Amino acid sequence: MAAARGSADRWTGVALAAPALAVVGAFFIAPLAMSAIVAFRGKGGGFTLEHFSKAFDLYTTDLLFTLAIVLLSTVLIGLLSIAIAGYLTLGENPRAVATLRWLYRWPLFIPFVVAGQVMRTFLAKNGMLNHVLIGSGLIEPLSAQSMLDWRGIVVAFVWKQAPFVTLLLAGAMASLESQHIEAARNLGARRLRVLLDIVLPQVRGTLLVGLVLSFVTMLSVLSVPLMINPNSPTMVTVDVAYRINTFADYPVANALCLLSLVLAAGGAWFYLRHTAKKIEAVA
Amino acid sequence: MKSRLMALASALAFAGAAFAQTTLNVVTAGDQNMVDYVNNYLAPKFEAANPGVKVRAVGTGPGDSGSQKIYEKLSAQQKAGNADWDVDVAVIHQLASATMVNEKLLMPYRNDISAGKLVSRDTAKNALGANVDGYVMPMFHSQIVFAYNPELVKAPPRSFAELTEWVKKNPKQFGYNGVKGGMSGVGFVTGWVSAYSGIGDKLEKGPFDASSGPAIDKALAGLKDFNQYVVMTPGNAGTLDMLNRGEIAIGPVWVDMFYTWQADGRMSPKMKLALPSPGLPGQPMYYVIPAKAAHAQLAKKFIELAESPEVQADGIIKQFNWYPGIDPQYVQPKLDQAAWNKLFTDVSPQDLANYGRPFPLSPYFKQIVEGYERVVLK
Repeated sequence: MAAARGSADRWTGVALAAPALAVVGAFFIAPLAMSAIVAFRGKGGGFTLEHFSKAFDLYTTDLLFTLAIVLLSTVLIGLLSIAIAGYLTLGENPRAVATLRWLYRWPLFIPFVVAGQVMRTFLAKNGMLNHVLIGSGLIEPLSAQSMLDWRGIVVAFVWKQAPFVTLLLAGAMASLESQHIEAARNLGARRLRVLLDIVLPQVRGTLLVGLVLSFVTMLSVLSVPLMINPNSPTMVTVDVAYRINTFADYPVANALCLLSLVLAAGGAWFYLRHTAKKIEAVA
Repeated sequence: MKSRLMALASALAFAGAAFAQTTLNVVTAGDQNMVDYVNNYLAPKFEAANPGVKVRAVGTGPGDSGSQKIYEKLSAQQKAGNADWDVDVAVIHQLASATMVNEKLLMPYRNDISAGKLVSRDTAKNALGANVDGYVMPMFHSQIVFAYNPELVKAPPRSFAELTEWVKKNPKQFGYNGVKGGMSGVGFVTGWVSAYSGIGDKLEKGPFDASSGPAIDKALAGLKDFNQYVVMTPGNAGTLDMLNRGEIAIGPVWVDMFYTWQADGRMSPKMKLALPSPGLPGQPMYYVIPAKAAHAQLAKKFIELAESPEVQADGIIKQFNWYPGIDPQYVQPKLDQAAWNKLFTDVSPQDLANYGRPFPLSPYFKQIVEGYERVVLK
């Protein structure tokens, strides 16, 4: 009797999960498998590594460039979001905290392509940023330079993704027990010390998750590098689009996609390890 | 009962009226401005002259991939053995026209219409090395040229050799958009290879010879050196933007984009154009009629209108800043002097005839742009 009920339960479980699994299978696993097959299939239909060797031959610089840009952006996003979330939690001027809380979320609602377009005019050699710097006497007109290269991409990424991580981080910080912070302050700890030694260790997990999600998102953005710096070196997404649009060369494009999947998988591994730990901790 | 009969009668009458109307299907590759041109400019003229005909224009998207979609649609109808195909007039790029003529998807029609005698450029017969004589009429030509800021550049370089010297004296003043940011950069690269490989004619006329690789790579190695002295711009529009903001002094642009930006006030009216020797590429778009178009006679009338000197003058030149598809000498009498001067002041029809070149044949084209990644970017 008990066994029968157990198996019925199991079937109910499978039935409940089936629609979700079907969606994942049809729209994620199947295209991924197709992509992998095309990347490894030669002209005659047999197995080949020729597309990968071509991808490495032409795009090794771009792969490294992509990784460097995304890692640098992730680090900067982490620093910026710690600073903003820290001030939101520990700031003592209520008006400044309220203003910051209202301001920092804005980029969340702006699509990447718009961010790219904004940066294109903002960071140009004769763009708004340099006009302001020259106008305020901070730089000489002759030393103004265009930031529409790797720096532009990093600025756009940080501008767009830092609010997302801040949102998660500020939420986690707000839910901490306030006694810890108050105790530390009573004992004479300064605010920076409270942030680094008391608050941050307790929200480390949330920060890590936010950064990993940003890392993976930035790897897949096409619009920003395409608008700011589509020339060499550039990000792998631009190369994928270029292989398809100019050469209709799906095999090499798929090989590049699989390579960036490997980069993303590094992030996923971090993420899974952390969430698994959390579940173990709860259990 | 009576009211039901009435309804039936009126429905039949309505259906009858609908059947009396013929729809001419025009499918066009290219940007939205192509669809707008047909819908807003050509269609009202054609419908007024042909009562009972409705023109419906559909766009298939920019670039060669837009033409590829038209090819796939016609090819599918051919394979299905349909008697009447649902495209009456198509507007396509050169690359697709060669394939479509080859696979017998198009109907020869140029000799059936009187405007057929007005075309003069080689592109009416030859599309990237393929013989398309009789099957196509150029709708317009567009051309890549150097745009420059006359306040910074008194005498623009007149040839690639002069340009190579010029950038060394004026570093970071020339800008182009590489091969991944749009066709004006690609055209500059193919123009460079034509100028420096010593096989310029062969690149355009063929036959394809895979052993030309070293000559192309040698020209590209020179381009790698040249690139140290130039600025890379983000895209076709990026070159125009940087020129307008004074960040570069000269760069390759599409002539129609340049004039449209000036007309919209997005580009300083002071900027000028120059076409260097031995030339930069340009390309036409073609009007074609599918081999089994349902309304072939109407399609011919439509193209006759679109290629008439009046429409070429007012629509193609005045409103869209393209170069005409037919010989300019037939168009000039229909244009006021100001509009003519605007299009031909900096780049004369003579320059255009001498230095307006086609893109290389498609296998060479691929060899050049991939060579650029291999030789210049690595």
